[in-house]
Amino acid sequence: MLSLVAGQVLNGAIVGSMYGIIALGITLTFGITGIVNFALGEFMMIGAYATFALAERGRLPYPVAVVPAALIAAAAGYVCNKAFFRFTRGNLVNGLLVSIGLISVFESAVLWYWSATPIEMHFVLPGALRLGDVSLPKMKLVVFAVIVVVIALTYAALAGTWLGRASFAYAQNAEAATLMGVHTERLVTAVMLYSTGLAGLGGALYASLYSLEPSLGGVYVLKGMEAAILGGIGSLMGSLWGGVILGVIEAVGSIFLPTAFRDAYGLAVLVAILLFRPAGLFGDES
Amino acid sequence: MAALPLAIRSDFVLTIFIYTFLSGILAVTFDLIFGFTGQLSMFHPAVFGLSAYVTHLLVLHARLPFWLATLPAAAAAVALAIVVGSICFKFRLKTFYFAVVTLAFAEMLRLIIVNWNSVTNGTLGLVVSGKPTIWWPGTGLVAIRGPVAWYYLTLAALGATVLICARVLQSWMGRAFGAIRLNEDLARTLGINVFRYKLVSFAIGNALASFAGGLYGYYTGYIDPGYLSINQSMEVLAMVLLGGQGTLTGPIVGSFVLTALPHVIDLRAEARAILYGAILIFTILVMPRGVVGTLRAWRMRRAA
Amino acid sequence: MKRTDVIVASLLAGVLAVASAEAQNVVKIGQIEAQTGANAIYGWMSSQGTALAVDEINKAGGFSVGGKTYTLQLIALDTRGEPKEASVQLKRLIEVDGAKYIFGPFLSNVFLAIRPYAAEFNGKILMWGGATRIHDYVGTPGHEFLMRTWNWDAGPNGFGELMVDQLVKQGVKKIALLYQNDQGGKVMEDIYVGMFKHKGIEARLDYFEPGTKDFSTVLAKIAAWKPDYLFPGYADSYIYDIVRQATETGQLKKFFLVRGSLGPGLKNKDALDEYVVYVPKYFEEAEKKDPKVQKFIKAYRDFYKRDFPYDQAPLCSSSCYDHVYMLVEAMKKAGTVDDPAAVKRALMAMTYEGLWRLRFDDKGEEIFNFDVVRLKKGGAIEVSHINPK
Repeated sequence: MLSLVAGQVLNGAIVGSMYGIIALGITLTFGITGIVNFALGEFMMIGAYATFALAERGRLPYPVAVVPAALIAAAAGYVCNKAFFRFTRGNLVNGLLVSIGLISVFESAVLWYWSATPIEMHFVLPGALRLGDVSLPKMKLVVFAVIVVVIALTYAALAGTWLGRASFAYAQNAEAATLMGVHTERLVTAVMLYSTGLAGLGGALYASLYSLEPSLGGVYVLKGMEAAILGGIGSLMGSLWGGVILGVIEAVGSIFLPTAFRDAYGLAVLVAILLFRPAGLFGDES
Repeated sequence: MAALPLAIRSDFVLTIFIYTFLSGILAVTFDLIFGFTGQLSMFHPAVFGLSAYVTHLLVLHARLPFWLATLPAAAAAVALAIVVGSICFKFRLKTFYFAVVTLAFAEMLRLIIVNWNSVTNGTLGLVVSGKPTIWWPGTGLVAIRGPVAWYYLTLAALGATVLICARVLQSWMGRAFGAIRLNEDLARTLGINVFRYKLVSFAIGNALASFAGGLYGYYTGYIDPGYLSINQSMEVLAMVLLGGQGTLTGPIVGSFVLTALPHVIDLRAEARAILYGAILIFTILVMPRGVVGTLRAWRMRRAA
Repeated sequence: MKRTDVIVASLLAGVLAVASAEAQNVVKIGQIEAQTGANAIYGWMSSQGTALAVDEINKAGGFSVGGKTYTLQLIALDTRGEPKEASVQLKRLIEVDGAKYIFGPFLSNVFLAIRPYAAEFNGKILMWGGATRIHDYVGTPGHEFLMRTWNWDAGPNGFGELMVDQLVKQGVKKIALLYQNDQGGKVMEDIYVGMFKHKGIEARLDYFEPGTKDFSTVLAKIAAWKPDYLFPGYADSYIYDIVRQATETGQLKKFFLVRGSLGPGLKNKDALDEYVVYVPKYFEEAEKKDPKVQKFIKAYRDFYKRDFPYDQAPLCSSSCYDHVYMLVEAMKKAGTVDDPAAVKRALMAMTYEGLWRLRFDDKGEEIFNFDVVRLKKGGAIEVSHINPK
């Protein structure tokens, strides 16, 4: 029993880290620009399919395919930003409707081209690592490491640099930031590019672990939102912690209680935490 | 509108209108909470689905007539809305957080319904074969059967919903809602009990929406947990935004457009879905206040 | 003046008569399946098969019944898996398009929603689909319009029953079922949990929410129970992940499926011990031996300009390719295209030899030959061809 729980805590943390990378995108976008990019899951899906195309059809080795895939997702994010989201700044709900429309467009386009047949990449790093009684697939460990590194680097970059401080200035007071010389439009574009690129990277990592279907992004954007709120909107490391905690709760809950209610365990904890700490676990109480 | 079935005898067209009216009830009541009071609630499909189940189960097991069964269903909806609303509003959850928490509650309710097989039959759903009955002067009890009867019934239900919402909005409650939507903190300093009015708006919106659940279930003839899915939330939101939030006619226009649209576009499945998404995007960008909202603004500008 | 008038008028009348006659010589087939949305794979495969068959028949000049030549028109509507959409679409197909022959639905929730409306046209339409819930209604009074185009799992010709009997013979004692929590999973639960118990195999059932990708927790729970086999649901999009994750950690290595394809087994062939699956047809082998199958695969490739999906093709048997041809045969036998009741009688009386040998039992549920494929570690494949009596 102990090894079962230990193994699932570790697995939950890994699965949760994938929620975390989407959560990071959401928290960056919302915290800095006030928009919730509900279509983030679609950019993750684009990253996943792009990786598949590059690695399977293009015969690129997987690690090499990941970067262009993330860039393709970021490029798509840039286009959507310039074409659509630019007009819904500050209007959360209209932005939400645009996201809903984009979801329909992207999913159907991918379905049209790839068809409904499930596709799966070749196994990049098969096999599992054995730690006593616990067995963890090697690729999952790699994915976890990559995500943690990326989020930590993001944190370091934003905390230390001028861009980072400018972002938080904008988040506090957009007008004042503009007056102080922060190029707000460029800032918002940068945030959109980065968050969609992150989602694309998440998708590329997803492709190494699971089979692909056009609707894969839907679950992740919802869990990403939960994780972002759980960790605290605006807290970068909080998005990673939120994701990990969410993943662990779902996994451990599913051990002792029916698997059918897995999603409910995370939701219940989320609601409970929000009521006692409305800003999330690591969020700013201001 | 009332004379339509006399002119068009097409079952197909009437069905589209019937679904428009049913979704219209959902959209209008959602707008009460969202457009008029400013709260983005993702809880609507939960009461919609819950009342469909409660109504039908009461008819089935307690042998209540349809209309009588809708009352406990509405009561359950109100009770749930008060519980959820109290939790959310007491803790002063703002837009995005409020949306996610109401979504969380809706999802938890859906999971309960999906898994409580002995009562709800889970994912297999419930087949509804009964019909609501109306007392018609002269004939006595008449069962609502066939598109024409359902057309008038759903039209009447929508009309009643709109009338009730209009009365609420015209009263002091409506003005409180508006104040809360514009600036919650200011409303509070003006002495408005923000918590109470948010809760009232939430309760009324959900209670009226619950009637749509029973009718929808009986018209479609099949109730399943899909009634409580997140997609329903998205659909209702899209209807309200497209039609025009903050109005009572906007949601109905939005409901008609989105209900009829898939059946008017005659393309290959994926192309149709792409077109659907594109229409949503472009409409909201070109008309950020929705069809009705934009028309009103245009008319006001003309008058000036 | 008058003569030219008469000539022009009669010419016009003649043209109009020919034109309307042409329009009348079209038999409309409506198809009501989920081509997009969750569980789209079934609807998608059905539409692939029907569209190909309709195109072939029309290109060959149509078919003749009662001295007239007819072509087929396929009106395929996407229900997106939503009962509400389907009810409106069925009304359109019957009322606006005037289609008397309806293919589909495969999804049970769609079927349940459209059944009452379809039943109003009992005798005036023929509806045949693969939905499992059709089994409850087919052959019952008031449902003469209904037929089911898929083998039934249980009973004397039931593929599920046969496969479970094989497990019993092997001495299997425990089986773990892992299904997605939707109407398909629930129906499978109703059929199989009882069947296993009845035959002395201990069964445990775990449900997961549709959309789940990571099964690590539930697989660990199941592995602790030490089952002989894992029965991983019915949809490939989950089976790929379940089989991979189960074998990756070496916990569960034997799999038993009654819906889904051989693909997940092949992908993980070195990590598993055994993978037993019911497939309507093992196309890779059939292609080498059966000229009809070769022709079909080539036609598919030419028409759709894409690779033949060996994995998903087996599902084509459900109210699609063979069924279009079978319907045409039945119309010829019945001598009419306008009387669905007569056409149904012809269908019930015939055995059609296409890619499969199709016939219907006395209730209107289909019986067709199928394969059971047993894949062993390393990729060795054993195919059993079953021909129900």
